[in-house]
Amino acid sequence: MSILAIDTAASRTSVVIIENGEAVFSESRDGAMSHGPALPELVQVAIKNREITEVLVGMGPGPYTGLRVGITFAQTFAWARNIPVRGFCSLDAIAAQVDESDFIVTIDARRKEVYWARYTDGVRVAGPAVDLPAVVAARRIKVVSDLFPDPKYFAEIADEFNEPIYLRRPDAVATADRK
Amino acid sequence: MSEALVLGIETSCDETAIGIVRGRKLLANVIASSVEEHARFGGVVPEVASRAHLEAMRPALKEAMAQAKISLSDLDAVAVTAGPGLVGALLVGTSAAAGLALAIDKPIYGVNHLAAHVSVDHLTHDLPAEPTIALLVSGGHSSLLQVNDITDEIIKLGETMDDAAGEAFDKIARIMDLGFPGGPAIDRISKTGSATAIDFPRGLTTSKDWESRPFEFSFSGLKTAVARYLEATPSYAKGDVAASFQEAIVDVLLLKAIAAAKKTDINSLVIAGGVAANSRLRQVATERCAAQGITLRIPSPGLCTDNGAMVAALGSLMVSAGRPASPIAFDAHSSLPVTRISL
Repeated sequence: MSILAIDTAASRTSVVIIENGEAVFSESRDGAMSHGPALPELVQVAIKNREITEVLVGMGPGPYTGLRVGITFAQTFAWARNIPVRGFCSLDAIAAQVDESDFIVTIDARRKEVYWARYTDGVRVAGPAVDLPAVVAARRIKVVSDLFPDPKYFAEIADEFNEPIYLRRPDAVATADRK
Repeated sequence: MSEALVLGIETSCDETAIGIVRGRKLLANVIASSVEEHARFGGVVPEVASRAHLEAMRPALKEAMAQAKISLSDLDAVAVTAGPGLVGALLVGTSAAAGLALAIDKPIYGVNHLAAHVSVDHLTHDLPAEPTIALLVSGGHSSLLQVNDITDEIIKLGETMDDAAGEAFDKIARIMDLGFPGGPAIDRISKTGSATAIDFPRGLTTSKDWESRPFEFSFSGLKTAVARYLEATPSYAKGDVAASFQEAIVDVLLLKAIAAAKKTDINSLVIAGGVAANSRLRQVATERCAAQGITLRIPSPGLCTDNGAMVAALGSLMVSAGRPASPIAFDAHSSLPVTRISL
C-alpha cells in the first residue's frame, strides 16, 4: 500500500512515496525546463517493487508547461492502473513546511509576477492568485519565496482541486480584434 | 514479433489523437480537435492547444480502448510523437505516454511525427513499397523524402525554403475570408472555379532552379502574387482565385515529386500529411503517376491529417523490426529532423 505523490509546479520535479503516513522515498530534480524527462525517470525508480494504490499531484499554480507534465502523467498513470488520483494546491505543500502563524508563500510566475497564497494559523485565507511581487509585498506580511512544494504533504491536505490552477487566460488576440 | 499491438499518442499541434494498431490492422482511431477554439484567432494558439490536450487526454484514451476492445495489458508497447511540433503540446503527449508505459510496465517509443505520417500508408495498402519517394505536405512541413526503411533510414531530398504548403493555404484563405483551417475551405470553393483562370507563379521551377535546388519548394512568392491579384481585382471571382492558387501548389508539388522519383529511379510515391487530403492534389497525382508509370499511394483522407493511428503504426513497425525502445526519460523535441525516426 504505497501512495505516489508528485509535483511539477515550480522549477523542480519532486516524487515521493508515502507508506503508513511516512515518506519512504523522496527525490527531486531541479530545472524549470526538465520536468518532461525528469518525472518518468524518478517515478520509474520510486515505484519499483511497490504496489501503488493512489496518486496525489500538485495542480499548481505554476508555469504551465511543467505543471501539465505532472498532471498529465499522474492522471494517465492512475487511469491505467485503475486507482484514484487527487489534486492539490502546490502552494499548500510549501506552506506546510513553514513554522509561522501568518505568512505568504510565493513561487515564480514568469513575466515578473509571482503566484502566491496567504496562510493564517495553518489555513489558506487568500489566493492562490498571481500578482507583481510589489503587490504581494504591500500586504506587509512575511513572504516565503525560497521553498519548493514537497508533495509528501498532499497526504495531509483536505482541500482538493480537480482542475489545473492556471490563474491566467492564454495570451491570444482574436482575428477580429487585430489591427 | 510480427503483429505488435501498439497504442499511439499524438499531440504535436491541435489534435489530441489516440490510435491503436495490431500489425497493420487499425483497431481504434480517436481524434479530439481543439480547432474550433483556434478558429477565431486565425491560427493555432499553443497555450490553448496544450490546455485542450490535457483535458481531452483521458476521455480520448478511454474511447480508444473501448473501440479497440482490448485490455491495456495486451499492449506490446506505447508509441508517442516526440517531435517535431509545439513543445508544450508535445509534452502533454510524452508525459501521458510515460505515465501509461510505466503503469503497465511496457516499452515506450518516442517517434517522429513526420515519419509517422509516411508510415500510416502501411495501414491503407497491402504491399507498401520501400524504397519509396515520399512527399510530405502539411501545415508545418513540405518535404521530399527518400524512404529506404521507414523504421531505420529516411533521406531528405529537399524541403520548403519558406512557408509550408498548408500554411500557404491558411494564409490565402485568411485574406479571402474563407476561414481556418484554409485547406478544406479552398478545396471546397475551388470546385466552383477554373484552375486555369489565373496563371499564378510556380516557385523554384526556372531551369536554374532545376539545376541548383530541384527538390526545394517556395510558396511565399505565390502567396504575394495572390495577395497582389486580390488587391488589384476588387471584384475577383473567389472560385477562380482559389482554384488557380491551388493548381499552382499542386502543380509544383507533383512536378518535383515526380522528378525525384525519376532522378532516384524509384518508381513509388507516397503522399502524406494534411495537404494530402486535398482532392485536387489526389486527382492530379493519380493522373500524372499513371502516365509516368509510378505506383502512387495516398492514405485515406482521414489518415492524412494528424492522427494517433499513424503513431501507433510506426510504433508497431518499430517493434516488429526489432528496433530498440526509447529510454523512459526522453524530452520532447520541437524541431526533430525527419531523418531521426525515433529517440
